[in-house]
Amino acid sequence: MGALRPMGIERWWVLVFLTPTLIGLLLGTFGSIFATLGISFMDWDLLTPPTAAGISNYQGLPDDRLFMRSLWNTLAFAGLYVPLTVIISLFVALGLNRTIPGVSFFRVAFFLPTVSSPTAVGLLWTWIYAQDNGVLNEMITAMGGDPVRWLSRSVALYSVVIVNVWGAIGGGMIIFLAGLQAIPKDYYEVAEMDGAKSWQRLWFITLPALAPSMFFQCVLVTINAFQAFDYIYILTRTGNGNSTMPTLVFSIYRNGFRFFRMGDAAAQAVVLTCMIMVLTLIYFRLQKKWGAQA
Amino acid sequence: MKHLTTLSLVLALSSGAALAETDITFAFWGTPEEGKVWNEIAAAFEAENPDITLNIEVSDWNSYWEKLRVNFAGGSPPDVFAMSPPLYLDWKSRDVLLNLQPWIDAEPEVLDGIYPVTLEAYETPDGYFGLPRDFQTIVLYYNKDIFDAAGQPYPTEDWTWNDLKEAALALTIDNDGDSRPDQWGLAADLYGPESFMAPLLRSYGADLVSADASETTVDTPEATEAFQFIYDMAVVDGSIPDQQTVASFGWDPFLAGVTGMTLKGHWTVPDYAAAPFGWNIAPIPQGPDGRVTTVNSAGFVAASTTEHPDEVWKFLKFVTSDAGQSLAAQIGLAVPIRESVAMSPAYLEQDTAAIDHQMFVDALDYARRLPSFRGFDEWGAAFGDTLDRVWTDEMDLSEGLEEITIYGNDALDKNR
Repeated sequence: MGALRPMGIERWWVLVFLTPTLIGLLLGTFGSIFATLGISFMDWDLLTPPTAAGISNYQGLPDDRLFMRSLWNTLAFAGLYVPLTVIISLFVALGLNRTIPGVSFFRVAFFLPTVSSPTAVGLLWTWIYAQDNGVLNEMITAMGGDPVRWLSRSVALYSVVIVNVWGAIGGGMIIFLAGLQAIPKDYYEVAEMDGAKSWQRLWFITLPALAPSMFFQCVLVTINAFQAFDYIYILTRTGNGNSTMPTLVFSIYRNGFRFFRMGDAAAQAVVLTCMIMVLTLIYFRLQKKWGAQA
Repeated sequence: MKHLTTLSLVLALSSGAALAETDITFAFWGTPEEGKVWNEIAAAFEAENPDITLNIEVSDWNSYWEKLRVNFAGGSPPDVFAMSPPLYLDWKSRDVLLNLQPWIDAEPEVLDGIYPVTLEAYETPDGYFGLPRDFQTIVLYYNKDIFDAAGQPYPTEDWTWNDLKEAALALTIDNDGDSRPDQWGLAADLYGPESFMAPLLRSYGADLVSADASETTVDTPEATEAFQFIYDMAVVDGSIPDQQTVASFGWDPFLAGVTGMTLKGHWTVPDYAAAPFGWNIAPIPQGPDGRVTTVNSAGFVAASTTEHPDEVWKFLKFVTSDAGQSLAAQIGLAVPIRESVAMSPAYLEQDTAAIDHQMFVDALDYARRLPSFRGFDEWGAAFGDTLDRVWTDEMDLSEGLEEITIYGNDALDKNR
């Protein structure tokens, strides 16, 4: 890697080529982050000039019923979605990391949801989950079971987790496949010569070598879990634009763009960002610990 | 906008034209088809006013309100934009709407011949900050094939809500023997009040909020009785399909041919015109306190910061005139605000569907507007979110009504 370090005049060119991206990052990303932080201390209806509100937007959050419900929904969702997505996509990647006939077909099939329109996919699942003429309930009743109300409040959490995990397996699979293919083949050859069994090769070579991918995937999936919106909204929306399973992003959207409460929405966005940051920091520490051991 | 004007001015001068052109923008929610008709209306307006260019911007309902807020926040709102009466006073309270009163005072005859109930929606103690564009009244739609198959008589104008409830139960049928219905009596909105709950409550002598919109009034004895009626239909009889079922039929189970009746305004006529079954309309049923339906008049408002208020006024005059209203009537989605047009072939003999279009006009006799106040959307969320828990049987009705009152009043207080 050291040989690829830019030298002399090249360094300037690196800067020149990075400038557009850096400006975009500075103004676009950081600009909007700081704007959100600023707005969270103001009352702003988007129409009239903002007025200072101190920390009242944050103080009001515990009493905001929609926000608290969204918070719990999001936490419960993340608690199921993150481990399931990571584990299932790891197994799919392990299964597809070999030369079997039709492997590219399966890779494409698992990746397809990632590149499909969330709206179309959401509508498709609405139809699968439908109570009376849904595919799933048809199958259950055909086998003599009782139909399930898949999107009723008590079951909706699991139903949307299934859809979201299904939609995320492809992305995770790609990351794990890349990680798997970066593991030098010699390791396995040496281990085989030493008489290591296949589970030992998995446990002592594959999994430790995949630690960086796993870490990356956990961070990514956690961020996605806290930002989950599209499938859940499409599956649980009500006729008047509400949702029976509101998530944090839905609550932010509704406060900002429906209730004229940009300040409250910004405060919620800041809370969401802080939660994601704390979790990411925890992952970083865990990785350091594991990395030191490996 | 300013740059466009300057640019067109420069162009006009350089091409030697004598007229200075003004650009104004009209934004509204609707379908691409409506956009097409409005482009025709714009062309007719420009023909009469060669010095004005009218830009039409159409978006779907949700994107429309988002775009509008973002445009305002960015300092470039459209000059004229569409408004819905329940949200009107909220927008007005934020001082962003142009007061049209000075122009109306100069030409008061512009309002002559417009249905008063549509004008009242935009009247405030400070004057008019908007004008009606068209109106909707809610009627009862029924599927003749479903009524015939069940041997049920069609709804009549003598129907009470109890007649509707009994017919709905008789039309709720399990065809495939799995002991779950696959046909229901009535498709009705159980989340927003416009088409079903507001008319029902009011015909029971109750209402959603007090007259001055200071209090939520859904837990009075009359309101409780009305909600009990809805609960009996939706939960006990199961004659109103639930939210999931409605979603699985593309949000319109009536059009999907699986409900005998629905309650809607005229906006649905062009869609239903292509339905593969026979259907007709009847007046909304009566309650213990008489017959009440909802009237809602979408309208036009202007941004207080528009640089061309005189041109905006010319546009408003044109689109509320006989000529403008006749052009708009061909869309077939709404009812014209002028009696001269609503009672003319332009509306009554439109080629959407051969039904009694006059019934929507006659309904004005017993129609009432939805409440309008600052924080309407927030109040509506407290209302719909809580009712959802009642319809899914997670919460008692009485508990639900109590909670709507508490959270509804919170929303009202927060927006005072």
